[in-house]
Amino acid sequence: MSLPRSAAAPARPLLRSLAVPILVLVLVVPILLGGGYVVSRVLRQSFGNSDARRAARTLNFTLLKDQLDEETGVRGFTSIPDPAFLDPYAAAKRDFPVKVAKLRERLTVLAIPGAGALLDDVVAVNGEWLAHVAAPLLANPNRAEARVLQFRGKALIDRFRRDSEELDAALVAREQGDNRALQSAIDNVSKLVFFAVSLIVLLAAAAAAAQSRLAARLEAARRRAESEARANLELRTAFETEKRIADTLQDAFAQRPLPVVPTLVFSATYIPATDETKVGGDWYDAVELAKGRVLFSLGDVEGHGIEAAVNMSRVRQALISAALIDADPAAVLRRVNDYLQSAGRMATAVAGYADAATYEFVYATAGHPPPLLLQPGRGPMLLECGGLPLGVLENCAYRTRRIQAVPGAVLVLYTDGAVEHSRDVLEGEALLVQAARTALEKNVTDLAASIRTEIFGRRQVGDDVAILTIGFAPGETTRMTFAADNTHGTVVSGPRGVGPKPSPASFGVAA
Amino acid sequence: MSDSTTLAVVKMDGELDIGRRAEIRAALAVDGHPSGVLVDFAAVSYADSSAISELLRFRNDLNRRGLPVALLIQSPQFKRLLEYAGVHEAFAVFDERAAALTYLGNAAS
Repeated sequence: MSLPRSAAAPARPLLRSLAVPILVLVLVVPILLGGGYVVSRVLRQSFGNSDARRAARTLNFTLLKDQLDEETGVRGFTSIPDPAFLDPYAAAKRDFPVKVAKLRERLTVLAIPGAGALLDDVVAVNGEWLAHVAAPLLANPNRAEARVLQFRGKALIDRFRRDSEELDAALVAREQGDNRALQSAIDNVSKLVFFAVSLIVLLAAAAAAAQSRLAARLEAARRRAESEARANLELRTAFETEKRIADTLQDAFAQRPLPVVPTLVFSATYIPATDETKVGGDWYDAVELAKGRVLFSLGDVEGHGIEAAVNMSRVRQALISAALIDADPAAVLRRVNDYLQSAGRMATAVAGYADAATYEFVYATAGHPPPLLLQPGRGPMLLECGGLPLGVLENCAYRTRRIQAVPGAVLVLYTDGAVEHSRDVLEGEALLVQAARTALEKNVTDLAASIRTEIFGRRQVGDDVAILTIGFAPGETTRMTFAADNTHGTVVSGPRGVGPKPSPASFGVAA
Repeated sequence: MSDSTTLAVVKMDGELDIGRRAEIRAALAVDGHPSGVLVDFAAVSYADSSAISELLRFRNDLNRRGLPVALLIQSPQFKRLLEYAGVHEAFAVFDERAAALTYLGNAAS
């Protein structure tokens, strides 16, 4: 049975379908986490820089404005020496270093190349202007070289303005660079997200496909297992049915009741063949058709097993039916032969009547071994046989033979298994005759079983064997002794099988 | 298979049982138009019911074709078995080959 195979098959597909979610976890999740980290870092940096840049540009402008305020104040004071002109100068001069320090701090954060040098120059210009322009002018506003100093101051202010503009340009360039980096980071992250989403979609599709394949495979395995189970069940059911039928048939066979008729004694035995098919085609029957008149039949249908058993049952029933119509055994066999032509199966049979009132046996055979007659005071006789087996040729004629027996006479009917066990049928016949005589002299109740035991002992029986005995009750004075074997001199005469047929008169058979 | 002019000869030996059924069937499948068939079972000592059934079916077939058959038997055991089966009623049975051939020669003429 291959059920374990089909149950184990889905294990690998299951692993494969689990591999897809695992791949998603292993590949996509780190990608998204990394991308998210990069984006957040770039954004954080970008926002931080943006604040620093804005502050730096403001401070840069304020420094320039302070420088201009200082210059304006000093210029005013030089024209009209009113200390009020110096208020902006003083405030700007006081705040200037603080603002420079703040700007330097921002520029350090932004790390713009050259920005520090520009700021240094701004501080230097301012220092130079204070020392060499502002201080001399404030000390003596009316000095002769005041215009020269003012001209020099203008040059320094221009330098200051250039530095300031340059620094602002650097800050603006930095802003654009930062924006580009941010844009690029956003682009990269977009690509990453697109890639991750595509990957997820692909993996999901692959997972769905694997899932569907797995489902199909599981379904197929389930169907296969189901059909196997069904087939097994059917086989088992068929087997059990056949076994039950065979057993039933055999039971029916074994329990076939023998009639109870005053002055008639019956015994029967059936041994099935030793091979696996228990039921063979052998049968026996004894049915009281009229008071004291018993139909007997025994035969063998070709083959073994249920088919043979069923055919056997047909032949038995056909025999009984024909016997109800016809009193003549030959006519009975002829009817059964005609009936069997369509079946295509061969059967051998012996059928006849025992009459309790007249001590008569009447019988006919069809391809069957000869009945054995044992009578007190006489030798055992193998009676005449012949006639083609049933079911072979149409319109076969059979012969009815009539035996006038005496009280204590026993007719032994048997199937070929009883004489063909050694394949030497002459030896088989001799053994049967001897066994029957021995069994009869033992005066046993079950004669048939006793004959079987005498023949086979404890040996195994290759073929089916059926034995039926029909006896007339012995009279008051009958002694159950039998003369020496005179088989040769009676029914089967001369050199075995070859030579003239024995005369019916010599053994009391009326043809 | 063919003997002398147009006589078909089927020859088998040993014990004929159900195990040799196909072989028996093949041996008994006489085709063509022989003048008669000699079944030489002189060396056959036993035949079970299946073999006898084949023999009788063979007899039916030849009957339909109108062919004479002679059965040559020498084993007394086998002869006795054929008596059970009534085969001696359906076949011309001989224990001498010459007698069988004579029978077939007469039947053909």
